[in-house]
Amino acid sequence: MTALLAVDGLSKRFGGVRAVDGCSMSVESGTVTGLIGPNGSGKTTLFNIITGYVRADEGRVHFAGRDVTGRDAGKLYRQGLSRTFQQARVFPQMTVLENLAVAGGYSWPQMFSPRIGRADRERAAVLLEEFTLVKVADLLAAELSYGQRKLLEFAAVLMSSPRLVMLDEPTAGVNPVLIDTMERHIRDRQAAGITFLVVEHDMGFVMRLCDPVVVLDAGRPIFSGAPAQVQTNPAVLDAYLGA
Amino acid sequence: MSFAGVLRGGGFFAVLVLAPLMGLEHWVLNMAIFTLMFATMAGAWNLVGGFAGYPSLGHAAFFGIGAYTLALIEKGHQLSTGYEPFLLLPVVGVVAALIGLPIAAISMRTRADVFAIVTITLLFVTQTLAFNLHDLTNGAQGLALPIPPFPAATFERPYYFVMVALLAVTMGLTWGVMRSKVGLSLVSVRADEDKARGIGVRVTGVKILAFSVSVGIVAMVGAVWAYYESFIYPQFAVDPLITIAIVLMTFLGGRATLWGPVLGALILESGQQYLAYRLGASQFYLIAYALVFLLIMLLLPRGILPTLEDRLRRRRRARAIDAGGEPTQGPAPAGLGNAPAGQSVALPGGGRP
Repeated sequence: MTALLAVDGLSKRFGGVRAVDGCSMSVESGTVTGLIGPNGSGKTTLFNIITGYVRADEGRVHFAGRDVTGRDAGKLYRQGLSRTFQQARVFPQMTVLENLAVAGGYSWPQMFSPRIGRADRERAAVLLEEFTLVKVADLLAAELSYGQRKLLEFAAVLMSSPRLVMLDEPTAGVNPVLIDTMERHIRDRQAAGITFLVVEHDMGFVMRLCDPVVVLDAGRPIFSGAPAQVQTNPAVLDAYLGA
Repeated sequence: MSFAGVLRGGGFFAVLVLAPLMGLEHWVLNMAIFTLMFATMAGAWNLVGGFAGYPSLGHAAFFGIGAYTLALIEKGHQLSTGYEPFLLLPVVGVVAALIGLPIAAISMRTRADVFAIVTITLLFVTQTLAFNLHDLTNGAQGLALPIPPFPAATFERPYYFVMVALLAVTMGLTWGVMRSKVGLSLVSVRADEDKARGIGVRVTGVKILAFSVSVGIVAMVGAVWAYYESFIYPQFAVDPLITIAIVLMTFLGGRATLWGPVLGALILESGQQYLAYRLGASQFYLIAYALVFLLIMLLLPRGILPTLEDRLRRRRRARAIDAGGEPTQGPAPAGLGNAPAGQSVALPGGGRP
């Protein structure tokens, strides 16, 4: 296996706080890698740096064998690295179908073609079916439940055939039935060859789905390995429970 | 385009084209020309302020740039025909659009309120330049344009028809934007620019494009105005009131809609003229004007068209639910945290019969 994503010595300071501190880790191709850690351990900042939303003070990011440090989020998305946000960021005043189309690629010729082109419509139809959003396709995203919006955001980033999808707390605030649905979608997509990096607080979800699991504390990884070992690792227990 | 849409657009422009042939008085045509100018500029502003959600307050600078560009091209030059300045309008538009490119690239790095301040600063800088670049603009003494050779009886007509054409171009462009992925991109920029960037939307490209096209149109209107007035001064060519008027008109009629800016311009410009005519001597017209505006904002806070559309949508939903065709399986949305502030959302079952 080769590392699809490798970060090397990333650091980011916000004032006096070292949010990410010399962090090195990698995501192997084809895995669902879990990223866990106590609140404030730097998970989201790490996400933001990797996806080009925040510039790192030090360190490099390699994606698919190329150095992509500091590259713009849009460019990374077009190269196959996409992400979702913690708070289900969809466009509330657009319909569900438009929310999918808007993520469906932006060559300049495409820009001047219809709002929802045929290719977008076909791709969207498959995703709507798969995510059981067909019935709500013409509703505004604002009219969906929170869980449905999370599903929609996930479905939208699949419009571009990504290679790596980074999910930031996909199950937070979602009811148990939808959590199972989310899990199934991730497994299906993993089988189809997509690699995942998942930040999550729901340990049951992480233990069932992720392998390996990386534990972050104070801005750097303190453990990386099989989920079964996480629960018994003294350093991890100390980070979560220790004084 | 829907059949009703074609009918509406066709009917509107047919009335506009035929109106001056009805033997309207000069003052009516004069008022119509100004209303058309404001409708066109509001429509152009809508591309940036409405669709992309960047509240530019600097558009009047480009009105002035357009006016001065035409004046400078025609300086010390004998007109070959009275229509020559109109033929130069595309040149004026392109010049202003090119000036707009770097300005957009820099100012659009800021957003919302900061962007508004940056662009209004641009307006005052432009006005100061118009006053002080004596060699170019003749400063406060103003600049003359060639005298139009049109006969007095139908003097307004050429300007009127050119303005109808410019409005048609602007509305055509707006319609094209709404139908294309450019429009979808602009709306995503307005809703959540960072998210849009993360899903590959070419946010920088489309907002700069929108700004550039928008100010190009405004500059063309400025050039028509300059030719119509025959003489331009810095304080009128670069006038903050123009910016404020087009922004208010767009808000009033409805941002990011095709007809909103036109409707807003019709109401505000003609209302202002009418009230000035009826109450002019007492200056009460300004109060009456403000009152009209406040009333509409009170009753239709998102602008006329979006508020009406919203009500229609709710009613349709309510009817669908009554008919047993409940479209959502889930409960009502738990939180609407994602809805931009000040925008109401149609909730399931929220409509009144």
